[in-house]
Amino acid sequence: MILFNRMLESKIIVVLYLGIGLALTSCASTKPPLQELAQTEAVINQADQVGAEEYAPLEIRQARKKLQRARELEAEEKYDEAKRIAVRAEVDAELAEAKALSEKAQNAVHQLRESIRILKEEIERKQ
Amino acid sequence: MITHFFKLNACFILSVFIMLGCGGPPEDNPLLKEAINHFHEAENDSTIVMNAPVALKEAEEALQESERLWEEKADKELVDHHAYIAKQKVAIARETAELNAAQDEVERAESQRQQVLIGARKAEAIAAEKRAEEALSQAEKERREAEKARKRAEELAERVNKLEAERTERGLVLTLGDVLFDFDKATLKSGGERAVEKLAQFMEEYPNRNVMIEGFTDTVGPANYNEKLSRQRANSVRQALLNKGISSSRIQIRGYGEKYPVASNNTEAGRQQNRRVEVIISDSEGDIDERAKAN
Repeated sequence: MILFNRMLESKIIVVLYLGIGLALTSCASTKPPLQELAQTEAVINQADQVGAEEYAPLEIRQARKKLQRARELEAEEKYDEAKRIAVRAEVDAELAEAKALSEKAQNAVHQLRESIRILKEEIERKQ
Repeated sequence: MITHFFKLNACFILSVFIMLGCGGPPEDNPLLKEAINHFHEAENDSTIVMNAPVALKEAEEALQESERLWEEKADKELVDHHAYIAKQKVAIARETAELNAAQDEVERAESQRQQVLIGARKAEAIAAEKRAEEALSQAEKERREAEKARKRAEELAERVNKLEAERTERGLVLTLGDVLFDFDKATLKSGGERAVEKLAQFMEEYPNRNVMIEGFTDTVGPANYNEKLSRQRANSVRQALLNKGISSSRIQIRGYGEKYPVASNNTEAGRQQNRRVEVIISDSEGDIDERAKAN
């Protein structure tokens, strides 16, 4: 009985340690990163709507490629890696969006300056 | 049993040591280095600090996470992951700062455009005002000229009155009676001189107006003699005008003798009226019709 108890005790300890070890080493998720994938897709769509395809083609393509890879990893149940790649795809898309907005604003500045120049010329011609 | 437990325990501790990595400094991570450099550049850029603090903060957090993992010698993929996020966040901060700067610029340029437009309208208003003023001054000038012309006409009328001229079909006619000449002489008397002086003044003031001086006599004496005398008398008037500085080109003379009587030669009063010199003042064009044509 005592022997049995000792055996049980040591088994419990082993399981405990293994559990702690497992938790420390990998923290491997068991959940698919559905939220991250959805979030990344949303940001990509947002970037598309502000003209990322035209103004930041490199960045938006990288985001798409990474999202695709994340989906593949998710299908392979490699959830951790899938999540990380999805997050990286999200920052790519964010950058694409910021770049598109910035480029467009700079174009607007340029056009406005041009229109002022033309306006000034016209006024000078009139006088 | 106890040794077994210890063995297990030692094994576990060893595995933890391996995981934490206590052996020497961690290996260089180029991506992390790059991210750190980018971040420092952005951190020292005041426009990024001011315009994109959130993205910059996120970059810093990702960078710290990457550094922490790197110091703990964690999996390279994890270090790279956070370094990559840091790098991209820095780029986002940069673009966001540029976007904000551009938006500010758009606002400034828009207000500048408004200023230019206002300036243009002002310039247009000034030009319009100038045109209006010019039109006004033109009208004023015309009014003054009309006034001047009216005055001149009045003056002319007054002068003509002073000259005791008559308005006839041929124009203004000034008649110098024979009392201004000595009997049978062509010399002007002092009264005649005064009349001629007035005429000369008039001609000076109205340089467009020319004169024709016509001499006439009564029927006493031979006709050819009378014609000669009438011409000499006209010429005396002409000479007097020339002496006053009137150009000879403006003066014509005619001697008609007994022709064109204005009264009967049967009475002394009538004959006196017929002995005369008429000065016909031209229109403003300087033309005078010949008597024969007029009659």
